[in-house]
Amino acid sequence: MAERLSDVTISEHDNLDAALVACAGGDRQALRGIFEREAGRLVAVAERIVRRRDLAEEVVQEAFLRIWTHAHQYRPDRGSARGWIYAIVRNRAINLLRDGRREHTVEEVEALMDKDAADEVMAAWHNLDRTSRLHECLHALDGTKRHGILMAYVGGYSHGEIAGRLCIPLGTAKSWIRRGLASLRECMA
Amino acid sequence: MTYDRKDIPAIADEYVLGLLEPQDAERLEDDMEVDAELRSAVAASRERFLPLDTGIRPAAVSDNLWTRIETALPEQTRPGHETPSRPANDNRGGWRIAAISAMAATVVLGVGLAFSLLRTVEPVVVAVLVNEAGDVQAVVEDFGSEQAVIRMLADFEVPQEKTIQVWTLPSRETGPVSLGLINGIRSAQLAGPALPAPRSGQLYEITLEQAGGSPTGRPTGPILAKGLAKLAR
Repeated sequence: MAERLSDVTISEHDNLDAALVACAGGDRQALRGIFEREAGRLVAVAERIVRRRDLAEEVVQEAFLRIWTHAHQYRPDRGSARGWIYAIVRNRAINLLRDGRREHTVEEVEALMDKDAADEVMAAWHNLDRTSRLHECLHALDGTKRHGILMAYVGGYSHGEIAGRLCIPLGTAKSWIRRGLASLRECMA
Repeated sequence: MTYDRKDIPAIADEYVLGLLEPQDAERLEDDMEVDAELRSAVAASRERFLPLDTGIRPAAVSDNLWTRIETALPEQTRPGHETPSRPANDNRGGWRIAAISAMAATVVLGVGLAFSLLRTVEPVVVAVLVNEAGDVQAVVEDFGSEQAVIRMLADFEVPQEKTIQVWTLPSRETGPVSLGLINGIRSAQLAGPALPAPRSGQLYEITLEQAGGSPTGRPTGPILAKGLAKLAR
């Protein structure tokens, strides 16, 4: 019935786990270690979603405060330490996006998104390790489903934005993505 | 809220992709604290998509970003331990309906509770635990001061290498705390850890865990029944 703790793939037995434990104990150097190792990628991940470097850094700054104050809550049953850290950054970036706290006007944002976003999404797809299972399974999806999933994960697009960009009805976008995700899970199982 | 178990992987994926409505995402984050299957599905989904993030070309980070972070860091006041703050909020969805349908049962059970194992002392709260179908499975009486009693009101099949574990959620920040294991399927007195006084609306649940109890200190097995506490009057 349930996917159990033992079924969770814990792929990252690296010292990020230990660093989180040290953070919970008040060790600032441990947090700095995480920062030095991951900040460049984390800022880049946030920037793909919020589209501006300064906002991406703001996201990462807030995320590191949260990593510090919530490190005690990390457990291996929440996935790898790296996955947990990236999820905090992703969530903050998406919240910023959905809250509309950007200083751009709507039109500017639309323009910004359309100018680079398609490139960013495609770049993420092309840079994905070709030998990875994720690449293989995304590759097996038809183009629209793959694109929808990548737009959501990489660019932080909502269902509505995806429907708009792909020129399909909202309900269709939702069900294609849902089916794409189901195929992906099956393929990666 | 209650999720159809078969929908959990799909909901977890949509959460990880950022496709849930903000209020649904927030609710899911609450539910993850007490639903091991959901937590596990979210963890698995994160791991599946993580290569799209870790393969990215790192950005050049501003020189002062670390300084900005470091100057804002609060002291870790309770090294390695939880800091309770936000209250639990798990009164949702199907379980809420189940709990309401169980309220009539509470009244009947109130009479039965006169035979409580600690009959000379009044419990602070009573929680009627129901399964997903809304059938009453057990009642927890929490006396505070590290004492609680669970009365089992249904037959559970407990395999040889398994045990039933009793949990409560004093606050979301603390996360679920074990009140103890049940020997077989009989009613039991529990001597849990020192916790803040139980509150009305506090979540109690029983899960099926490996013998000796959950290895992680958090619920990992299926939820057999859960319910929210009512102040004993």
